[in-house]
Amino acid sequence: MSSTLSAPFWGVFMTYSSKSYIEEKRAYWAMILPAFTIYLLVMAFPIVLSIVLSVSNYSGGKMFGGEKWGFAGFDAYLRVFRDPWFWNALKNNIYIVLVSVFGQLPLGFIFAYFIYARIVKAPEFWQGVLYVPNIISVIVVGLLWQTIFSPHGPIAEVINSIRVREFQNQVRGIFNAAGGFSLSDDVIQKILDLVGPSGQAIFSDPLIDLRDLLSSFHGEPIEEVYNALGNLFVQKWSPTFLTKSNIAMLPILFVILWMYTGMYLILFLANMQKIDVQIVESARIDGANEGQVMRYIILPALSGTIVNAAILAISGSLSSFALVFAMTGGGPSRVTEILSIYMYNNAFLGRPNFPLANAISLIMVLISFGLILLTKAVEKRYGGKEE
Amino acid sequence: MPEMIKESKSKKILSIIGKAAVYLIMGIFAFMTLYPIFWLIMNSFKTTREFQVSQLALPKSPTLQNYVGAWQIGDFSLLFPNSILYTLGATVGIIFLSLLAGFAFAKLKSKATKPIYNSFIMGILLTTQTLMIPLFLEVNLLGIYNTRFAVLLVYIGAGLPIGIYLSTEYIRAIPSAVVESARIDGAGFFRIFLSIIVPMSVPVATTLAILNITNTWNEFALINILVSKTELKSLPLGIYKFSGSLSSDYGKQFAALTIGMVPMLAFYIIFRKQITKGVAAGAIKG
Amino acid sequence: MKKALLVFLTLMMVLGAVVAQEKVTLNVLNYQQADQAGYQEDVAIWEKFQKENPDIKLNIEVLFSEPYHQKLQVYAAAGTLPDVFYVWPTSRSAIIHEKKLAKDLSKLLGPDYLKDFSGAATDPNNQLGKYLAMLPQAFTYTSVMFVNKKLLTDNGFDLPKTYDDLKRMVWKLKAKGINVIMLPNKDGWPMQSCLFSTVLGRMAGDDFVDAILAGKAKFTDKPFVDSLKVIDNLYKDGIMAREDNQVGYGEGPGLFVSGKAAIYIDGDWRAGAYITDKASGKALIPPAAQEKDFVLLPFPAIPGEVNPGVLSGIAGTGWAISASIPSGSAKEKAAVKLFKYLYSEEVQSIRYSTGSYVPTRKNVKANVEPLVAKVPQFYADNPKVCYVFDGMFDPAVYNVLNDGLIAIGLGTATPEKVAADVQKAFETWKASAK
Repeated sequence: MSSTLSAPFWGVFMTYSSKSYIEEKRAYWAMILPAFTIYLLVMAFPIVLSIVLSVSNYSGGKMFGGEKWGFAGFDAYLRVFRDPWFWNALKNNIYIVLVSVFGQLPLGFIFAYFIYARIVKAPEFWQGVLYVPNIISVIVVGLLWQTIFSPHGPIAEVINSIRVREFQNQVRGIFNAAGGFSLSDDVIQKILDLVGPSGQAIFSDPLIDLRDLLSSFHGEPIEEVYNALGNLFVQKWSPTFLTKSNIAMLPILFVILWMYTGMYLILFLANMQKIDVQIVESARIDGANEGQVMRYIILPALSGTIVNAAILAISGSLSSFALVFAMTGGGPSRVTEILSIYMYNNAFLGRPNFPLANAISLIMVLISFGLILLTKAVEKRYGGKEE
Repeated sequence: MPEMIKESKSKKILSIIGKAAVYLIMGIFAFMTLYPIFWLIMNSFKTTREFQVSQLALPKSPTLQNYVGAWQIGDFSLLFPNSILYTLGATVGIIFLSLLAGFAFAKLKSKATKPIYNSFIMGILLTTQTLMIPLFLEVNLLGIYNTRFAVLLVYIGAGLPIGIYLSTEYIRAIPSAVVESARIDGAGFFRIFLSIIVPMSVPVATTLAILNITNTWNEFALINILVSKTELKSLPLGIYKFSGSLSSDYGKQFAALTIGMVPMLAFYIIFRKQITKGVAAGAIKG
Repeated sequence: MKKALLVFLTLMMVLGAVVAQEKVTLNVLNYQQADQAGYQEDVAIWEKFQKENPDIKLNIEVLFSEPYHQKLQVYAAAGTLPDVFYVWPTSRSAIIHEKKLAKDLSKLLGPDYLKDFSGAATDPNNQLGKYLAMLPQAFTYTSVMFVNKKLLTDNGFDLPKTYDDLKRMVWKLKAKGINVIMLPNKDGWPMQSCLFSTVLGRMAGDDFVDAILAGKAKFTDKPFVDSLKVIDNLYKDGIMAREDNQVGYGEGPGLFVSGKAAIYIDGDWRAGAYITDKASGKALIPPAAQEKDFVLLPFPAIPGEVNPGVLSGIAGTGWAISASIPSGSAKEKAAVKLFKYLYSEEVQSIRYSTGSYVPTRKNVKANVEPLVAKVPQFYADNPKVCYVFDGMFDPAVYNVLNDGLIAIGLGTATPEKVAADVQKAFETWKASAK
């Protein structure tokens, strides 16, 4: 600062500058230290301990002053990478990251724009209703989830009644072909053929047992016969798709999309409202269309916000725990397990494996760090128009 | 404001189909939001036996019993003030310390900025589950186990990384000339901070408040580790007393969950205008 | 002046220490679910002890479910376990047993005291560390058939004694929309804990499990595969419905009492779910019907079983005393006093009456509802017990079995495939445990 000044003034500025320099240094540390001290206390110690434990042979019990433990090498890391369940959990986490970054963000942006530009009616209502999921406890979401997808819940009821009706129509066809309700061998055999071997497995002697059953109704009223046959042979609906890997994640991803989009909606909406209306107006007067306004005014103005939102989304989705824990607990058969649950089960369920658990969480940190660097790189390459 | 954007113009560009699709998605989201809240509140007025037999029907003879029971058993009258203290204390602490450090990182020159700032970023990425055991060891070592101080300290520490990241990025965008001219007028750094930076930082502060208030209000894993006395606990721990998979009293569980949700809902409804306005206030011209 | 103050302060501190010495403080970690029957009674139990023992100050921390397990793990890592704490006898509290963080109660309490408890409760082999780290308050049968006798009689059936009896019921009941047996298995553990363990005990026996643990037998051997086939057949024969694998554990009792199934399989602890709820005064099954219409039965005879009549049972949860309390100290005396109070006839009788469990303490009398009264009778009628699978193996192993049983239930995996998966998981676990 002072180097550009000419010699006569140099002496005066020297004293001012060094005084100022000291003052600036003092202020700098006074401003940084409170936050940094707390941060060191709360976060740095866990990070260091986590690193130490991940390469140790500590096996539980009193950590300091108990049984001796020491360095054991990088076995835990090797085991994590060799464990197929790690890759399964990582894959599920990547789905969540993708949905967060390429689902929540764009959707939140579009919703925000629609509300901002008053393209939808009652913007206040939508803004409120879309943000509120953030507030709902994940425990409620988990409970409701179970009730709705239960084989005795509302979805099952609808699907079962459709299946039953379909089956009953087929049986009706058989009876109609035989000229009405009949217990002839031919009719009974046709019904048995219709239900196949798995349906017949419930009988010890299918022909006799089914005739017994049907004759007990004496053909009247016919609706009861249909009901009984429906009960016997129609496979009840259950959410079996939830047990298939990949598909099982879909509902979770959908709930994540629903729950957190509102957060980004608020961030984007607020930053859109920051844009000087006159700029937008004058652009329109100059003949810019909606797409051009978006491309040349709104998007550049929000590029910083978008990057920040992406970083929030990445770190949030890699460390997410509570929602998946409440909805599925990682099940069934671990198909919806994510890294944090994988880590949790190694640290708190049954016999704890601390080296493994800490190795997992450090790997998680590294992955999100990599993703955030990537986001920053993308911003440098394509964004930054706002400065 | 936005109403200046003519509706007729936007209609031309956006096809009716696109609009319908947006309404549909927003409608689904809205239904998914309103129905669970309705379902929860409705079931909180049923007896457990009634819930077990019918989970989707309206209560036959609504009862307040669940609320009375849950309030007493959950010790909510003790937990409520704590939750408010922790949430407000942590949020205010995070915002103040983040802005302070953010200002230093963004506008004061130092070689220390790069390493310290980057170390904060690391903290965004740690999961709560990783923190539990080390933090417990630490608060015991410092002799602050079972204190409100420890809870606030940890909540602030856990919220600082993202707070500092957003504050620093935000304050960097404030033109340096603003600070320099104030310096030339002879203002000290702290005066500049209080009289210039803080008022200009309302948007980022509001953003941080949105992020932290709901997070802190619902947090239970860390506080469970930090305190054992009921009089120091927060609402989520009270609610968690009711939510086992072997639960036999759904009625009280739903009442407890409603008790936990209503304050946040009320907070949002009351302050929703300030929330969006806050982020938009004191705009830095792009 | 300053000096005087200092002296005064020191004096006060010394005095304070003397006074404080008389009062022993005990840290307690209690496990308590606020919405479970018996909650109010539990609160009263603790208040009573505090009132009767003013010389002991109790610092009670009450937790439940995952937060409890997290906290216990954290206490163990820091070496600051509470003086008296609630604990599992199995791998769920592995650290306590394996690192011997609790005192050996057989030494601390002596045979004179322990003789008042059932042999199963005081057998150290029923605990993970093979020493008496805790005293199980209950010994539970994890496999009970709750039978709706009225529903069976109305449809012309007797109580089932064999597998074929069950099979005979299928089509007649199913035509009316009633399942023969309901076992909600969405959570994975109920099938393994409440039925498969019994089947394994019948088809293979505890010796077989011991042989596996010793590396002398494999899960892919015939007895284990055959046991899985029994489960497979239950679904194939229509005795159990495949969709039950998607029904949550909590939903079961409501569905059972609404007549969706004739038989409901669960642990004996579930009797408490049907009795009168003290808060609302309502019961899923009114006491009169509990007496008349419902019975508890063992799972019927299975074709090919080698140990007829055995049922899976396991030591339940209970209290432990921290190993870090110095022997012979005043603190230890206070801890023992509290411990004995918790296991006294008085307290155990309260727990029994709330339907929490049937105490391991002998001759505890209480006024209980009919269904709960049937539990000790059930024990007496079926004295032979076998292992519960998840009490014998690590989560890394039994979780694979739980998942496999769901897959068999849904018809997506064969018994042979599940057996191979479990064997693989066991070998992996064994390799890593060394």
